[in-house]
Order: sequence, then structure tokens, then C-alpha cells
Amino acid sequence: MKARTGYSTSLKQEFLKKWIKGIRIYSNFKKDMNILERKKAIKLSADLAIASTRNASTRWSRTLTANISKNETNKIFVEQIFSDSEVIKKEAPSRLMARSNRIASKKIWRRSHITQIKARKMGPYAVKARSIAKKLVKNRTKVLKSLVPGGENMDGISLIKETLDYIVSLRVQVDVMRRLASAAENSTRSL
Amino acid sequence: MGSNIEGSRVQFRSGNGGSKPSEMGFGLEEFPGPVSVTQQPPGSSFTALLELPAPQAVELLVNSPDAAANEESQPKPCITGSGEVPSYFHPPPPIFPSDIGLIVRASKFSVFASAENSNNSSLFNSNSNKLDMVKQEPSDSDSNPNSSSLATSDQNPNSTKRKEREKKVKDSHRKSKKVIPNKASEDSGEKLPCVHVRARRGQATDSHSLAERARREKINARMKLLQELVPGCNKISGTAVVLDEIINHVQALQRQVEFLSMRLAAANPRIDYNLDALLAAESGSLVDGSIAGMSTSSLWPDAQHNGNRQQYNQMWHFDGLHQPVLGREEDNRNFITSENSLISYDSSANSASLHSSQLKMV
Repeated sequence: MKARTGYSTSLKQEFLKKWIKGIRIYSNFKKDMNILERKKAIKLSADLAIASTRNASTRWSRTLTANISKNETNKIFVEQIFSDSEVIKKEAPSRLMARSNRIASKKIWRRSHITQIKARKMGPYAVKARSIAKKLVKNRTKVLKSLVPGGENMDGISLIKETLDYIVSLRVQVDVMRRLASAAENSTRSL
Repeated sequence: MGSNIEGSRVQFRSGNGGSKPSEMGFGLEEFPGPVSVTQQPPGSSFTALLELPAPQAVELLVNSPDAAANEESQPKPCITGSGEVPSYFHPPPPIFPSDIGLIVRASKFSVFASAENSNNSSLFNSNSNKLDMVKQEPSDSDSNPNSSSLATSDQNPNSTKRKEREKKVKDSHRKSKKVIPNKASEDSGEKLPCVHVRARRGQATDSHSLAERARREKINARMKLLQELVPGCNKISGTAVVLDEIINHVQALQRQVEFLSMRLAAANPRIDYNLDALLAAESGSLVDGSIAGMSTSSLWPDAQHNGNRQQYNQMWHFDGLHQPVLGREEDNRNFITSENSLISYDSSANSASLHSSQLKMV
């Protein structure tokens, strides 16, 4: 129990440390930022920090870091923060694409074949209902894939896993950010 | 059965209030309730936790037909015409139908050949797509007994398939003991590269359907975890709606990040705030808690007085982050925020002055 209680807290601390570190580097880069730049710096550092807490073991963290590094200016910034080589570029998306294509074509055949058989045996209503439900699920899956960074090429199982991990990390991020924000606001208010 | 489900649910969601943000982080780690933490690198420990709960969740799925029933629902053919899609995914509580189902099943048990079953299950199984958690795939234990049994009673008399399915379901529900060994073998199969799935009574044994079934069970187990995680998803049955909730949750969290970063940017003309504080403490210690803790404890008697506490602030501020972990009462006081938070605060009198001195330092 203690290990688990400590896990989330240590996660938050790790995130906070990295985040503050990132902000500091960013502010050293560029003095006197306006509010929008500040916001961008804050968000960027936060995203990088939360992605790095996973040590590139999850797809979303790798994708997030890669996306941020795409921008050249950010890239330098990123490399400065994570000199401990956590930035791993996204692995071979081509391989996964090929596999998913193969799977997709096989499933298309299967689906068309199966629907015929089912329609014969189950009656029209059930088949229609089934396909409607499937369509719904598929649409939502598509949306989910677009939300989770790096979710495009993943299959159902890994997608759920990534989503779980991503949600947890997002929560940590939001939690720490919220506390820092209210602390900062309290300080300015009390002055 | 209801209480059983609640119990099993509570196991997973013991700390998860869901609504209070300050609790969320701490509640999260409670959700892999009955599972022990494995020795894995911290980066992957969460996913390791996921692996372990999955078999347990699967077991729970087996033992709690209500939960299972809530996850999958068979479309009631009578409703199809009206186009009420959402109703597909809200089956009535399975308690009474399972009795009916048992009766039906008992009557039909000896009648139908397993050949039909294999046909049936292969059809359903092969229909599954990448993320096909569609509820109309009841050939697992996860299918709901209620609507299938109801359907049989009113609908297609030639729905031998449905009866077969229902029979399988009854098998899994009633003979949970029998099923659990199956599950166990499947669970161990999940962790290994090759999946050893034992076919349940009256089910197809060809590799396709077995693989499909294993895959589907994996997905269902994970979906259950997701349901536990996302607040408000426990009562919902049906993948599409659950997915909807998940999507909303993720979007909300992402939006919150945006807003919060805007808030932070607006709160301070310079974004350095406690940077110096943190980094002074950070650079000075490898094990932050211990060294900072030692310095704070020696300095703590001075905490009550205002004065030049800048260097103290640095230590304390950072130290306060760690104290909740170490659980030391005195060190839980801190000066950053007066609200209930990771860094908890004790006396408001100090807060104002300390805020100013601390956050103004550049």
C-alpha cells in the first residue's frame, strides 16, 4: 500500500521538478516574454515534463516528445532539458502501418463474408443493430485515436492501455498545475 | 449479486472520488486495489499494474455477471426498428433473467449440437474488428444473460444461435469454478507470447475463435479498468457510451491543461516563481527529502517569526513537496498555498509574508 501511495506523489514531484526546470531554461532563453509566450512556454514544459516521467516507455510519451521536438527552436530546448537522452524518436511507424493494412484488408473480407452468413442465420434486425453498434464504436475509437498522441496506428488493446496511462498522466499534470496556479494567485492576491 | 459487484468495484475504486481534483491524484494509486506492486522500473510500473489487474479484472468479469452484463448487451431485436440505439446498451439487471436463462438453458442443453455453436461463435468472433468491443458479441462469458434470454422468449423461434449463446453464458456464470481455471489458463496465456486458451463447454475450438475470444477478453478487461478510472463510467453499460465518456474526459483534461497554463502565465509577469527556491534545494541534494528535511527541522523553530527567511523558504518550499510522502506532521506546513493541496499550509499569518518573500524573489 505504501508503495502505491508513494507512487503518485513521487510522480507529481518528478513532474514538478522537471516542469520547473523546463520553465527556467525557457525563461533563460528568452527574457521578457509576453503572456502568450509565457503560456506557450509553460504548457510546453509541462507536456515535456509529463512525457518524460514515462521515460519513453509508452507510445504517447514518445509521440508527445517527438511532436514538440519537431519545431526547431523547441528542439534545442528539449535537448537541453533532457540531456539524459530520454528523447527517443518514434519507432518505425512504417512497420506498424504495413501490419495494420494487412489486418485491415483481411478483416474487410471477413466482415463482408460474415455479414452474409449472419444475415441468413440471425435475422435482419440483429445484424443491423450489430453493425450500427460497431459503427458507433468505430467512430468513437477514431476520435480517441486522434486525442491520444500517437494513437493513430495502434490496435484496440494497446490503445486502451495507452489511454489509461495517458489519462493518469494528464491528471497528475492538471493536479500539479492547478495547485501551482492557485498558489501563485494566492501570493499575488495577498500582496 | 449486486453486493458482490459493488464489493468488487469498491476494490478497484477505493480512493477514487472522481470529483475532487485534490483527491484524484492520491486516489489513483488505489485503484489497482488487490494487486501487489511488482518490481519494475518506475516508468513502466503503471503498465505493469495494468497487466496484473487485467487478469483479476477478467476474473471479476467472470464472477460478476452484472458487470459483464453491463459491458455487453445484445440488441433486443424488437427495439431495432425504433432505432433506439442507446437502449441497446442498458440491459435490465440480470438477476431475474438469469433464472429464466437457466431454465431455458437447462431445457435446451442437450438438444443442440455443438457444431452450431462453433459456427455461431466463429461468426461472432470473426466479426470483431480492431477495437471491436461491440456488445453484440456474447459468445464469451461476458455476454449478458438477460437480453439474450428475453430475446429467445419473444423473438425468432429459429434463434438457435441465441440459445446457444445463452447456454454458454449460463455455463460461465453458473459454473464459475469451471470457468476460472479457463480464465487462469487464459490469463497466464496473456502474459506469455502464445495464448493458451481452453475452450469452454459448448464453444468453438478452432484457433481463430479462440484467439478472437482471448483478444476480446483482453479488451474487455482493459475497458473495465478504464471504466474504473474515468469517473462516472461505472454505471454505464455499453462500449460506445463508455468510450464517449472517456473521450470527454480526455478532452476535458487537455483543455484544463491549456487553461491552467494560461492562468499561470497571467498570474505572474515573470514565470520564474519558485524556481530559485526549488533549484537551490534541488541542486543541493540528491535525496531531496532527507537533506532538505534535516535543514528544515533544525530551522523550524524559527518558522513562527517573520523575518529574513528567504533561505529558509527555499528549503521549506521544496521540502514541503516531499513531506506528505514522509508523513511528518510539522513539515506539512508550508507557505505556498493555503488551500488543501500537496503542499499543505498551517498558519495563515505566515502565509502572506512568506508568499511575498518567496514568490517575489527572482
